[in-house]
Amino acid sequence: MKDRGVVIVGGGLASQRCAETLRRRGYEGRIRMVCGEPERPYDRPPLSKDHLAGELSDDEVAFRPPGWYEDNGVELIVGRQAARLDAKRRRVELDDGSELFYENLVIATGAGARRLPPLEGYTNVHYLRTLADARRLREELREGARLAVVGAGFIGQEVASTARAAGAEVTIVEALPAPLAGILGEEVGLWLMKMHDEEGVEVRLGTKLDGARGNGAVEELALSKGAPLECDAVVVGIGVAPAAGWLKGSGLETDGVLTDHAGRTSLPGVWAAGDVARSFDHRHGEHRRTEHWDAAARQGMAVARAIAGEEPDPHPLPSFWSDQYGLRIQYVGHAEGADDVTVEGRPSERDFAVVYTQEEQPVGALVVARPKDFARLRKEIEHTYAQRTNGKEHS
Amino acid sequence: MSHIPTIDRSACSAHGDCVDIAPEVFELGDTAEVIGSGPDKLILEAAKACPAQAIEVVDSETGEVIFP
Repeated sequence: MKDRGVVIVGGGLASQRCAETLRRRGYEGRIRMVCGEPERPYDRPPLSKDHLAGELSDDEVAFRPPGWYEDNGVELIVGRQAARLDAKRRRVELDDGSELFYENLVIATGAGARRLPPLEGYTNVHYLRTLADARRLREELREGARLAVVGAGFIGQEVASTARAAGAEVTIVEALPAPLAGILGEEVGLWLMKMHDEEGVEVRLGTKLDGARGNGAVEELALSKGAPLECDAVVVGIGVAPAAGWLKGSGLETDGVLTDHAGRTSLPGVWAAGDVARSFDHRHGEHRRTEHWDAAARQGMAVARAIAGEEPDPHPLPSFWSDQYGLRIQYVGHAEGADDVTVEGRPSERDFAVVYTQEEQPVGALVVARPKDFARLRKEIEHTYAQRTNGKEHS
Repeated sequence: MSHIPTIDRSACSAHGDCVDIAPEVFELGDTAEVIGSGPDKLILEAAKACPAQAIEVVDSETGEVIFP
């Protein structure tokens, strides 16, 4: 029988890290990667930053040159999506009807942008998840173009920043009175919006989208308050949902595949990593989905190490970064459980750190242009959780 | 060439920015690794670019931490 080896479904960061780590660990079996998009694996963060700004080419966002896959015996199946999992026969069916048999299957299909039904069918409405999305959106970022950004999450904010640098007129529309308030707190959400306001972005908070008007292309957005918003293009950034619909009937969860810390699912020989996975978080004693670059990288690597017979490291603290208007914003930890917040530095000068505390211990931090503080705070937050975990073991 | 970088392996997620900036100094394995030396300017630039702030730069002559 031909070597079944490892089949990795998905062509993003978690998949790439998994394949690379398998080879680095001396895994000699067959590796096949099913990439849903018509591209070889690439890195997504630049899609809202340097690549969108036209400073990085498609080749520059690719993880590896084409020859790498050949040299490392990684077979790329490009432009194909998984359609069905038959775990009993250890078989994945693709959307062209072909089937792949595996010894180990790694589910790393990521997540897809949540869509807004009232905007379906219009030609100038954009979502930003894929390289194709980024190429299309880039065409819209012209001097004087009027861009409406629906949703003030980090994707929307980074698009706003890149669009401003390109000379576009930008309006951010956000349903919440303070964006990201549930995760970062109201103060930070409002500080971010103030930064955009200072950069010439019109910010409309507490404003819902009621509908759109236009012939083929959106010309105007109807909003729950204020005047209708005239625009040349719309970008929607209202979050993502796990791309797990193809797992229906497989026995796995379609709202985020439950895994242990190494990425093991409830099915034999089936693993999951990245945005699609709901991985066990030892700090909170529950499964959590983490849509961060770092988490995808680490989870992809953890699965590879486990397949290679090693015990993966426990997950590090979640962290992410965002680049806007030349500023680096960094986050680490778990701000959502905080009962208090302290600010160090000068927010008005874009130089500060926000420390989220719980029972007076740091549990999360958001840092703007203060790399030294970031390194220090991460250690302090790690200390908080190390103490708590030890406490539990002793009780 | 007095700048000596060290990598905090628990913080590094192998983003690879340091390797892009100073390939003669850094290499990617499970995490980034220091494999050589290079111009101070590039080492500092790599440390600043790191999204995880996992690179510490020390001046070998004075022992002073230059970054972060």
